[in-house]
Amino acid sequence: MDRAACAWLIRRFADPDAVFVFVDDPDQVPGDATPFDMRGADLSHHGGDCSFETALRRFGLGDPVLWDIARIVHEADLDDERYDAPEAPGLDVLCRGLSMILDDPAMLAATGPLFDGLYEFRRRALLLGREPS
Amino acid sequence: MAGSIEWLLLAYRMPREPSTPRITVWRKLTRLGVAKLGDGLVALPADARSQERLEWIADEVIEAAGEASLWRSRLTSAAAERALVERMAGAIAADYRGLITAAGAAGASIPVRAQTVARLRRELRRISQRDYFPPPERDEARRAVESLTSRAAVR
Repeated sequence: MDRAACAWLIRRFADPDAVFVFVDDPDQVPGDATPFDMRGADLSHHGGDCSFETALRRFGLGDPVLWDIARIVHEADLDDERYDAPEAPGLDVLCRGLSMILDDPAMLAATGPLFDGLYEFRRRALLLGREPS
Repeated sequence: MAGSIEWLLLAYRMPREPSTPRITVWRKLTRLGVAKLGDGLVALPADARSQERLEWIADEVIEAAGEASLWRSRLTSAAAERALVERMAGAIAADYRGLITAAGAAGASIPVRAQTVARLRRELRRISQRDYFPPPERDEARRAVESLTSRAAVR
């Protein structure tokens, strides 16, 4: 979930032309690639934050909608009750289920619209001050 | 005969001060339901999700100026493995029994408060998440909480 959310964030808000390489081990990361959501990577868990939150900080993204989504990603990934995010368990199950039936590129293709939709929903919710219909 | 379960072992050491990172790490390990094998040594049955979670915790330990390594291993004795599994199941069973008692107390008050039911449901979910060897008490706890749910709904 955190990984898929980071990939979506990078494509949408940091580098639309980003190409993703999938590896099983940090040792396999190509020299010209920027690893994320992996042990030892900078774009990863730090100080209690999940990788998505770290990425928002590193990219200097202050968009309140993204930080609102970050609460959900944080709870889906870490489940440490730092935030109240009732959406988290549902999204976590959806992402884990998709990862069981899809390979890595298909996983990113499938979760992209999921996060686009989440972004639009949370954007309208923040504007309205309540859940949109 | 050797054990049949593959285990993840996290060996870690953290500075005594500051204590906050140490407490945070211990809280996360407790939430995962690890078996404490010794000072700075905990175990979980191996699976991909537990491995990823323990890896993140290992990194957190290292980030807090500690040392951590994650291992995969098997017990050399089936009897020792049984004892460990029974210990973990026993600890979880005690958690379920606490929940059953709490559900009984909540059911005695009329009407059953929806807020209390929500809290007990959350607690049930938490316990289930760290339950690797479900004891018989699990089904009893589920029934106890579900029966409250239906009663809170009708009132």
